[in-house]
Amino acid sequence: MDIFLQQLANGLTIGSMFALVALGYTMVYGVMRLINFAHGDMVAASAFVGLTIYTQVMGQATSLMAVIAIFLLAALSMAVVGIILERIAYRPLRGAPRLSAVVSALGASLVIQNGIMLIWGPRMRIFPELVPQVYWDFGGVVISLIQVIILVLSLVLMISLYLFVEKTRMGAAIRASSIDQDAARLMGINVNSIIALIFIIGSSLGAVGGLFIGLYYRGITFNMGWQYGLYAFIAAIIGGIGNIPGAMLGGMLLGLFNAFIAGYVSSTWADAFTFILLIVILIVRPTGILGERVAEKV
Amino acid sequence: MKSMQRFGYPVFFVVMAGLPHLLNSRWQAVAITFLIFSVVALSQDIVLGKSGMFNMGQALFFGIGAYTTAILNAQFGWPLLATIPLAILIPAVFGVILAGPIVHLRGDYLLVTTIGFNIVFVQVVQNNLGGITGGPNGIFGLDSLSFFGVQLLSQVAVYYFAFAVLLLTLWIMHNLEGSKPGRALHYLREDQLAAESIGINTRIYKIFAFALSAGIAGLAGTVFATQYSAVSPEAFNFMQSVLFFSIVIVGGSSVPGVLIGVFVMFVLPEIFREFATWRFFIFGFAMIAAMILRPRGIWPATFGKIPRFLIKENNHGA
Repeated sequence: MDIFLQQLANGLTIGSMFALVALGYTMVYGVMRLINFAHGDMVAASAFVGLTIYTQVMGQATSLMAVIAIFLLAALSMAVVGIILERIAYRPLRGAPRLSAVVSALGASLVIQNGIMLIWGPRMRIFPELVPQVYWDFGGVVISLIQVIILVLSLVLMISLYLFVEKTRMGAAIRASSIDQDAARLMGINVNSIIALIFIIGSSLGAVGGLFIGLYYRGITFNMGWQYGLYAFIAAIIGGIGNIPGAMLGGMLLGLFNAFIAGYVSSTWADAFTFILLIVILIVRPTGILGERVAEKV
Repeated sequence: MKSMQRFGYPVFFVVMAGLPHLLNSRWQAVAITFLIFSVVALSQDIVLGKSGMFNMGQALFFGIGAYTTAILNAQFGWPLLATIPLAILIPAVFGVILAGPIVHLRGDYLLVTTIGFNIVFVQVVQNNLGGITGGPNGIFGLDSLSFFGVQLLSQVAVYYFAFAVLLLTLWIMHNLEGSKPGRALHYLREDQLAAESIGINTRIYKIFAFALSAGIAGLAGTVFATQYSAVSPEAFNFMQSVLFFSIVIVGGSSVPGVLIGVFVMFVLPEIFREFATWRFFIFGFAMIAAMILRPRGIWPATFGKIPRFLIKENNHGA
């Protein structure tokens, strides 16, 4: 039972990080029908940017204000990178065959990944201890302050995003663009700015996810983006890609699944089991848990 | 295309046949890998380019072929060339088994599922399932090439082995184009619904495409195992699949396109090896630029003898 509760806590923590990153994938996919392969690398870049802001700008301060500033600045810089990325790599390919955009995304991923390596070097860096190491022991189940912060902050961000998309005019424009771009354009929605908005939101959420990964796992490497990106993308698919609550649900489920595999089976098999889960879900329910059946555009 | 077939291919064959005698041993190795990757990329083209199925796991079949050869050679003492039939058959069977349940999936789902197969394969091999794959280090110390008892130790022999496999693949590709399955695949890529409505069993042909492609990639795996006398999990990881995927899209879904793709995506980075840390950074930009400038690839596909004026723009969109 202890293992179960411990892995439940760990799984929810990992799951909320997956969910934050998955939101970036699912929103871009929803509007552009494009797998933004560079998203995972932006998550990794965010952790490194956070590290640099901490050492260079904040003078290694760990006060609450400094930590908030690190989060805001990292999210801001990733939002800028996201907009540039969309402008350079994706916008020119909007009318092109789908696969060209996929390769362009792979190219962008290489650029960001190797950009991180050129700036911060190929070796693993240690992410600063921004949050004090506080642990609570509930009869054998250990929960850290970092886990609580990650879970609560992720939930707050996800709920605000959900309300933004469902309740505001801009959110309605995002939903309209993801249903039918041409019709949205005819209704007077500026689809270009909606896509830019999506990259801003997705990249900033990914940036927060990247900082969480740094805080939780401590070691950050230039090529870690692929690993987390792939998992987050799987989470988005499991939940039903293009569907915002689906990404949250998928992220949480995948986090829990991973934690239980690590707890009860073995972490060396985690990847294999994750993909077997994905394949089974796609065979049983090809559109994901919350996804609606959409016909492929001919 | 006609003049290409009449002049381009003979020139290419002559140059490739004489090539190993002009290169030193490092570039001979690069040339062998060029040939092997060309075979894998051509096999990838059958699924990705010709049939329009988003497959990003081709290194899986390449790897199964290479491991089949390595295990049969290292554990059971089969000569390398004798492993060829099984190195084709086993990946092809895996192609059927794995593709069977997933070929109906929409594009991107298929893409992620095939990535998944690739990653599961690498993890299985790394964890040494069944104790025959050698774990993270792989299997090394394979025999060298021997032909009816004659030992062929030189790298040039491996080169000609690879070249023969490439010629065989080109011959298969050439025959596929005009054959019934080839036309069926082309049709179902262009319009699956229409293909189904005239009685093409798209499911069977899609699985056929995967099996054929897997068999060819498996054969390339044998050559790869021969070249390095070893196999290891990293050689078949999913980044390798990304490479084969990009080769076909950057080059274009045609034989010259795929060969150019392999040259651009594999040989050029080798040439710029001295810029080690910068090359993939620039390479990424080059991939983006290539797609923006040539969205259909450097040398796009053409099909059949349809007069140019009858071809609508955009009809080769994938």
